[in-house]
Amino acid sequence: MRKSKNEDRKRKNNREKLKTFYILVVAFTSSILVLSFGSVFAANYESERYRIQFGEVNIGGANLNSANYDLSVSLGQTAAEEFQSQGYIVKAGFQYLHSIIPFQFSITDVSIDLGTLSPNKPQTAQTTLIVSFGGAGQYQVTAAEENPLRALSGKTIEDTSCNGEAHTCTDTSAKLWTSNASYGFGYNMSGDDVPQDFINSNYYRPFPDLSNNEPPQIVMSNQDVGKNRQAVVTFKANISPSQEVGSYQTVVKFTATPSY
Amino acid sequence: MSKVKGQKYKSKVKNELSCHPELGSGSADSGQARMTEGRSRNKFGMTIVTFAFFLLTLRPVFAQQVSLSISPPLLELVIKPGKSVLIAYRIGNFGDPTIMKARVLPFVPVDSAGNIVLKEEFEGPIRFSLDNADIQLDQAVFLNTKASQQFLLRIRVPEGAPEGDYYYTFFGEAQPATGTEGTSASRAQARIGSNILITVSRSGRVDIKGKIAQFEVLSRFTLKLFEKSWRFFDSGDKIPVILIAANEGRNLVKPQGEIVLRGNFGEKATYKVHPQNVLSGSQRLLSATPSAEVNCDVKKPPAYCRRPISLLLSGFFLGSYKLSTTLSFAEGAQNVFAQTSFIAFPFKFVLGLFGALFVVALIVKRVRE
Repeated sequence: MRKSKNEDRKRKNNREKLKTFYILVVAFTSSILVLSFGSVFAANYESERYRIQFGEVNIGGANLNSANYDLSVSLGQTAAEEFQSQGYIVKAGFQYLHSIIPFQFSITDVSIDLGTLSPNKPQTAQTTLIVSFGGAGQYQVTAAEENPLRALSGKTIEDTSCNGEAHTCTDTSAKLWTSNASYGFGYNMSGDDVPQDFINSNYYRPFPDLSNNEPPQIVMSNQDVGKNRQAVVTFKANISPSQEVGSYQTVVKFTATPSY
Repeated sequence: MSKVKGQKYKSKVKNELSCHPELGSGSADSGQARMTEGRSRNKFGMTIVTFAFFLLTLRPVFAQQVSLSISPPLLELVIKPGKSVLIAYRIGNFGDPTIMKARVLPFVPVDSAGNIVLKEEFEGPIRFSLDNADIQLDQAVFLNTKASQQFLLRIRVPEGAPEGDYYYTFFGEAQPATGTEGTSASRAQARIGSNILITVSRSGRVDIKGKIAQFEVLSRFTLKLFEKSWRFFDSGDKIPVILIAANEGRNLVKPQGEIVLRGNFGEKATYKVHPQNVLSGSQRLLSATPSAEVNCDVKKPPAYCRRPISLLLSGFFLGSYKLSTTLSFAEGAQNVFAQTSFIAFPFKFVLGLFGALFVVALIVKRVRE
């Protein structure tokens, strides 16, 4: 009698264990399924070795060649060919430029917070510029500030001239800025397609000042087709003990354009 | 403290002993213990699932990102005064939701590498407007993530517009982030543009005045003798070639042609020049293909990494070589010709050989002595 009671309990216990196991499996599987749902994208096909990106929905297209000719074919593409109308000729469209990968420009962080500035303690902050292009090949990114870092009171932090004397930097030439007694606001570039005067992370330039009619300067450029060309911009500010306390702000314009 | 710990340990051991079927005091107690064990296992399982769920749902926090795309990337237009044309541009947003404006500004070429600078003020006779029902130029438009906006740009050339070229950039400008009070900050503003090259002509004829401004090889060793420059390379060196076309006419030109390399043993190689626009009153470095791969991501980058080049020749060169180029600036226009030369010799190999011979001679001399 006692033995059968024990067996009943054992069976009941086993059933409970099994039930718990099922619940755990179902909960875990559901959570995995829910978490693995991604966003739905347009018709891009890819594997480990290739990616077919559909810039436009075409009937078909190919690059054909023989000993005597090269022929690039695109069917169903709107404004695919050089077309003519009365009084004008327009040359546009991806067939004309093979721009299947669109010209794309990204800034990873648009709020570059330099924190609270203390005298003789340089503050730096970074953002990354990314350019992707599958079209005409060449591209450039220029930079310029609307005005120097300015507080509401109208006081400004002047643009840096770097360490000064032999190491005086300009809008077009980066120089060493390592001295904590050199004040101002400037930037350094590192990564793909950056100007060669940014020899290392200690080389800085001031931003061209648009309020002073200074022309924007090229901070990234390349002659070749590129995808995910990345460069890090390091902003640096250092103030003197006589600098008025305040919240200094400016807007830096980064303009990306493909080649003409 | 240690006493309390000891008591806890004893009670734990006692519990474990009472839960064990062979060491326990009775079956009823052991059943209860199993139930308790089952419940604690349930709790443990649920804790693991909850942790797994939270860990897997955690996403990294990113700062505000701007990512814009534009299409088409370039527009070339030859148009009569008094005519207008409608072009559809599309700007896409791959970043965070943003407010943006569409604008058109003139640009000027700044160097021979094809770079430009936008003027911040509009100028010129060409008139731009949007044919969209609800959007105007310079008007703020909200663009959600992964959304795009079509801009129907109307380009109108007034009747009295002078003939010539006018260069503009149509661009999308994201609104800069709002500043944070109490801290010093720089706000980045992203602008993405597409160039518009407009040739205004009544007859359709254009003013072609193209020439070759520079055609040479960049050599580390140049010898000037009898008013002639002799450029030397080591046989294994890569030969960088520079070809710059100048446009002195009123309209843009697109030169086409080739670069031909001829050796002193009759060998010949031809490189096709890519057709690229040379804007009115400017110069442009032209590129040719097939070019050797330029690898500047090394500790000591070669000299040709310091400036853009047209073509990089690679191979084993020996003797005197002649490079010539022929460019045609327009259909039916006279071809323009230029040439340069260089001498290649295995300097490094010969130096190495002499060095080795010298060392061998020294060793032989010592052995004899």
